[in-house]
Amino acid sequence: MTIGRRAIAVLSATLVAGLALAGCSSSTSGTGTPSESTTPGSSESSESSATQTAGGFPADSVIGVSLPWLGTQNWAEGLDEFTAQIKAAGMTPLVQQADNKVPQQQSQIEAMIERGAKVIVVAPIDGSQLGTVLEKAKAAGIVVIGYDRLIQNTEAIDAVVQYGSVEIGRVQGQALLDGLKARKGDGPYNIELFGGGPADPNAPNFFQGAMEILQPKIDDGTLKVVSGQTTFEQAATLDWDNAKAQARMDTLLSGFYADKEIDGVLSPNDGIARAILTAAAQAGKDEPVVDGLDAENESIVSIWEGHQYETTDKPTKALVSATMELVIASQKGEPWAEPTGKADNGKIEVPLYELTPVAVTKENAKEVYANDPARLALLK
Amino acid sequence: MKKIKESLAGDLHQIAMVLAVAAALIVFQVINDGRMITSSNLQNIISGNAYVFTISIGMVMVIILGQIDLSVGSVAGFVGMVTAITATDWGWPWWVAVLAGLACGALIGAWQGFWLAKMGIPGFISTLAGMMIFRGLVIWISHSISKPAPRELEWFGAGSLPDWGREATGLNLPTVALGLLGAAAVVVSQVRASARRREENSRHVPVWPTVVRTAFVIAAIGYFTYLFASGNPGTSFPVPGLIVVVLVIFYHVLTQHSRLGRHIYAVGGNKAAAALTGVNVDRTYFFAMLNVALLAAVAGVMFIGRSTAAGPSDGTGWELDVIAAVFIGGAAVSGGVGTVLATIVGGLFMAILNNGLQLAGISADRTQVIKGLVLLAAVAIDVMSKRQGRPSIIGRFMRGSRAAGTPEGPAVTLPVAGPEVFAEANKAAVQPARGGETA
Repeated sequence: MTIGRRAIAVLSATLVAGLALAGCSSSTSGTGTPSESTTPGSSESSESSATQTAGGFPADSVIGVSLPWLGTQNWAEGLDEFTAQIKAAGMTPLVQQADNKVPQQQSQIEAMIERGAKVIVVAPIDGSQLGTVLEKAKAAGIVVIGYDRLIQNTEAIDAVVQYGSVEIGRVQGQALLDGLKARKGDGPYNIELFGGGPADPNAPNFFQGAMEILQPKIDDGTLKVVSGQTTFEQAATLDWDNAKAQARMDTLLSGFYADKEIDGVLSPNDGIARAILTAAAQAGKDEPVVDGLDAENESIVSIWEGHQYETTDKPTKALVSATMELVIASQKGEPWAEPTGKADNGKIEVPLYELTPVAVTKENAKEVYANDPARLALLK
Repeated sequence: MKKIKESLAGDLHQIAMVLAVAAALIVFQVINDGRMITSSNLQNIISGNAYVFTISIGMVMVIILGQIDLSVGSVAGFVGMVTAITATDWGWPWWVAVLAGLACGALIGAWQGFWLAKMGIPGFISTLAGMMIFRGLVIWISHSISKPAPRELEWFGAGSLPDWGREATGLNLPTVALGLLGAAAVVVSQVRASARRREENSRHVPVWPTVVRTAFVIAAIGYFTYLFASGNPGTSFPVPGLIVVVLVIFYHVLTQHSRLGRHIYAVGGNKAAAALTGVNVDRTYFFAMLNVALLAAVAGVMFIGRSTAAGPSDGTGWELDVIAAVFIGGAAVSGGVGTVLATIVGGLFMAILNNGLQLAGISADRTQVIKGLVLLAAVAIDVMSKRQGRPSIIGRFMRGSRAAGTPEGPAVTLPVAGPEVFAEANKAAVQPARGGETA
């Protein structure tokens, strides 16, 4: 009896909190409702247009883009490039980043649904953790496109636009071999392997692609992984964190290279490549041959000055343009171009639109960036 | 006029905090062209932050004790991963996997409680260790790879109640039933409180403030019930929200109306005095640490349900969101002060802020800056208000709910003020020079 009374009192107190919420909502919803019914991009109309998506949508519709964070240059470029290209196409950009926090990205995508986005482009932080929110987007008739990373563990994905991730790994592996030949004379060579963030579904693919090239050379003795750490789990860098990679490199150098030289290191991206070079310099070692990914400014300068050997460029502009082709086709109600392949995401076969990456070294840098004034300016 | 003011005194304090939440909602409703207070957006706010609300219920009890738990994020991530692995890789039925996960949470809590209560390691250190241990274990057992969660868990993390009555009425009837239940509870409690007030207070107390307040609350419940019940077909008041409501009721009763609750406030107010009066300090510490880990486990399971997978970095930084909610809710770093209800309002305020900024297209970096400034401002206002000798605005918010109009009735303020009075009285007994803080 007393418990019952207490529970009731508690409940009432909880609900008192709702008092002012309602007080204000009832006064403001009056202004909110008319604008909702007149704004084409409101959530109400997006749901009713679920079947109309095939027939296109208004040219000024909101296009949502959810990027993982701005911690590396390619995402910052993606943010600018998406904003510019969506504007150029006459649509309304809603480009956001989620600070590398999964819950933040989930609620961000929900907010885009609320804003009445017609297409949501998602570069996931963790490709398998967006199931329920993307299904909500699908239920609202929104086209969902994965950008740069595969989206797994859900049916609610229409296509993924990315650079072939296994292919990127092959380019990186080949660049490492070429660099060793060019800079370190004849083998055998001592090398170490680094992988990307394990939560990023592309990272194991990069590693797999690189190992397709490197494994035969390891087997025939041309390459020697001195630490013996050759699996992706051992080589992975949690969250693509440069500091963690640098710490691992420090450890490897002090643990295995006290009396040896290190000739090359497989690096999954530019930030980690520079961390590896820093660690080697601090340990007083000769610069190893290091590949990279993303063509960050700092790495292009490093390549031009002869430190980092290569970066695998997957130009953000081309990737955004390829994504926008799909968005614009959806807006006009036209069918999409044929995908270049399919990938099993654990639930369905996702159509893939894959672009081919470019290996950039000091030798071909001027050529590759002939039409990219920002990067060309770095080459001097 | 004076009489009216007096009879509303308690309510004014409540209204101060609720006004902050209301102001945020109004501002964002205007900025976002009416997209803020919609059925689906409110569902998003609740489902998307249920994990923070859940953990903060346990955290406020730890903070009242003058301790802190930094490991809750790692524990939630670990439990989520255990649940996903046992269900997906080992083929355990989903509910067995969930029970295994919760059992892990309880064990971890017992571990943390052991180091604090039995070994006397400060919570800050023992849980900092726990934060590293359990983050490492998540990565270890998962090999840094995300694991799909059983689909049944989606109901707990993002689900809706059964959509009964939609075709006939256009409303989700289970949500309507919840709303009616809430409204009935309010009427009963207000009638009782009013009767008690008359009994305890010889002075004439007008009835109309109670009537007006009850009418407002009923209107609010009615409006929100309608909003949640009339959303898209298949949606209702979200299941994670319902879980949070049940937990809030349970823990409010536990902290305000049980002996254990009084012990928590007593130990937080003055540990030595509490021990002298026979409170088992170690057991109180142990319980609070075990409890917060268990709630972190519940949050971890809800989160993997919503995410459809458990990831190696799940829970990173959650402890900070939770601690922010607790302090915005008016808890004191020195311990002894704080309530479950005010903490939830604090968490709700942060959630609304985050959601409103996202709707407006403000990106996460700027949102972080704004949230940081708001945390600082909220606590600064609270501290200044205390310094001027007035009770904390936020801290007073929920406390006044039953003392309304009768500030001099000791029996009425007992539910919350009781433990503090108790603690302060003990403080006075041990340190006579410092007595008289009770206000």
